[in-house]
Amino acid sequence: MNTIIQNILVFTALALAVLFLIRKFFWSPKKKSSKACGGDDGCGCH
Amino acid sequence: MSKQINVALIGNPNTGKTSVFNALTGLNQKVGNYPGITVEKKEGICKLPRGVKAHIIDLPGTYSLNASSLDENVVIELLLNKNDKDYPDVAVVVSDVENLKRNLLLFTQIKDLQIPTILVINMSDRMAYKGISLDIEYLEKELNTKIALISTRKNKGIQELKELITHYKELSSEPCLNASTIDKSYFDNLRKAFPNQLLYKLWLVITQDVNFGKTDRKTIEAVEDFKTKSNADLKRLQQKETIKRYQFINETLKKGQTIDLNSAKDLRIKLDRILTHKVWGYLIFGVILLLIFQAIYDWSSVPMDFIDSSFASLSEWTKNTLPEGAFTNLLAEGIISGLGGIVIFIPQIAFLFLFISILEESGYMSRVVFLMDRIMRRFGLSGKSVVPLISGTACAIPAIMATRNIESWKERLITILVTPFTTCSARLPVYLIIIALVIPEGRFLGFISYQALTLMLLYLIGFGAAVGSAWILNKIMNFKSKSFFVVEMPNYKLPLFKNVALTVIEKTKAFVFGAGKIILAISIILWFLASYGPGDNFNKAESIVTEKFASENLSEDELHQKIESHKLEHSFIGIAGHAIEPAIRPLGYDWKIGIAIVSSFAAREVFVGTLATIYSVGSDEEETIKNRMAGEVNPILGGPLFNFASGISLLLFYAFAMQCMSTLAIVKKETNSWKWPMYQLVIMSAFAYIVALVAYQILI
Repeated sequence: MNTIIQNILVFTALALAVLFLIRKFFWSPKKKSSKACGGDDGCGCH
Repeated sequence: MSKQINVALIGNPNTGKTSVFNALTGLNQKVGNYPGITVEKKEGICKLPRGVKAHIIDLPGTYSLNASSLDENVVIELLLNKNDKDYPDVAVVVSDVENLKRNLLLFTQIKDLQIPTILVINMSDRMAYKGISLDIEYLEKELNTKIALISTRKNKGIQELKELITHYKELSSEPCLNASTIDKSYFDNLRKAFPNQLLYKLWLVITQDVNFGKTDRKTIEAVEDFKTKSNADLKRLQQKETIKRYQFINETLKKGQTIDLNSAKDLRIKLDRILTHKVWGYLIFGVILLLIFQAIYDWSSVPMDFIDSSFASLSEWTKNTLPEGAFTNLLAEGIISGLGGIVIFIPQIAFLFLFISILEESGYMSRVVFLMDRIMRRFGLSGKSVVPLISGTACAIPAIMATRNIESWKERLITILVTPFTTCSARLPVYLIIIALVIPEGRFLGFISYQALTLMLLYLIGFGAAVGSAWILNKIMNFKSKSFFVVEMPNYKLPLFKNVALTVIEKTKAFVFGAGKIILAISIILWFLASYGPGDNFNKAESIVTEKFASENLSEDELHQKIESHKLEHSFIGIAGHAIEPAIRPLGYDWKIGIAIVSSFAAREVFVGTLATIYSVGSDEEETIKNRMAGEVNPILGGPLFNFASGISLLLFYAFAMQCMSTLAIVKKETNSWKWPMYQLVIMSAFAYIVALVAYQILI
């Protein structure tokens, strides 16, 4: 049982991670048209 | 009885305009508001020679006639509306002798409205102190006006000003700039549509959306034959107008104003003389950079070691405390190790931005921009490219966005293409860990550590690559255009703790949270790819290895190590790594480094997190990232994998490679084409590969 739960958690984490990267780099929705880029503003800056 | 003369006092803020107003009107003044708005209106009466009286109105301070506030709008509306009862017979533009160049921009705009204008140069008592001398006769001739050199502090020149106001009818109304030179066809259309109106007035009506009499922006745009322009085009023309005005002002001041820095007694000028000196300036900047890198290494080693060992302990604790299983392994070996690879660099990043912020706050950064401008011009770029290149040390993305204020497309494009060469904060983690592994800890001249010196060299290499490639691109791209750069040197001041602290917190947060999310996601994927694999080689690793080493009498630990190593090599990531290994082997890298390079294409700092994750998989020992990397053995040559040759090769690879997807995306957005980011990617990656290859082959 414990193994099943742990595996479910691993695959959920993996799916979320893949989804996040796809959204970040390949399929990002239109961002707000702020000219500023800094902080956690979602303009891709790191 | 003769009519009162309407006099408008106009000028930039802080030029002593109100002091001139007080000197002219004395106690004969009243304060009210402009009708309908809460902008303060000061007016007074001045008694002039021969019984003439002047009605003086002190207009709000403004830098130009390109209004951006209600106060500034008041100035434009009055100067455009001849029917206003306060419309000036004569405009008195007050300037400050120390900022004459900037102040003259407003003067030339008012002159172009063909209002008789007197130029007042205030604070003349500071001239000797600042080493400034003026050729008044020449300036009067070139600016087509009369000049009053005054000092309200010493009460000098006020009588002369009063005389000039009295004889305002003798002043020339000739403009300084022919408005149609801004855009000939556009202004020709304007002239055809409104033949009886002053061209520059119409231009202000269009750009400022104000009106005079019955003419406003809508009236102009309603004329059928007249093709109006978009706001972006109008903005560009406004910038062109400003550049043309500054060209005229620069030419005029070249002969009309002399600043003898040798006779200056002011501390700021003395400091500027040294800090912007063509030899000392660069030397001092070099020493400051060296001290910054030295401090980054010396001060951050303690918190860095603490964070490193804390993450190692946390990983160990997680493994021992949580129930055994895949998710516990993911937490301990993937997520915690991967995040440790980024959190460890917080002290250095914070120290870097602390110093940058102090340099900016103190006013020194403007001097650096000035120094760099000198270099940039030799490589075909103007000082406007300096700001993006310097801000590129934080992150290339805002730096590339900052190129928007470069009017010349060629210069802007070159700046966009070369900015990713400057050492951004994302490269710092890669540099720091590799330098710590391959550069000895000794000190040069007993003071500067070799590691700090290497880091500084890498920053210089990045900057050198940027200007060098700018020079090449400037030669290759065969289209001519030019832009101009104006930088105001602020006064030196002690940095405000609050401002510095806020910058450090904001930048560090952006680094950790911006990259942190990507690293977390990549760490999870990498851990999965390193912990699972296809076929019997992975799934039956235990029996294969046990059988293989059955005769060697290995200890339990050694056997476990062999099994984990076998599993990693036959995991998904191991297979992928071995596939790319032939391409990176000549550079001195193994397949694990190859995987780290590929994954760090998303963001450079992912490199360390990736290696931390790969090295953690299957490891039962509590070890820091640095120790794990130091313990890696070159499978072919033996000896440490991260040695001097492979380390330098890696450092050079990261100095030149275009390892950042976000930067490519922003370049596409700014150039509106995939062509330029693709050129950038291919050329930078190929160059990085060749340099890293040559370095390794020479050093090995």
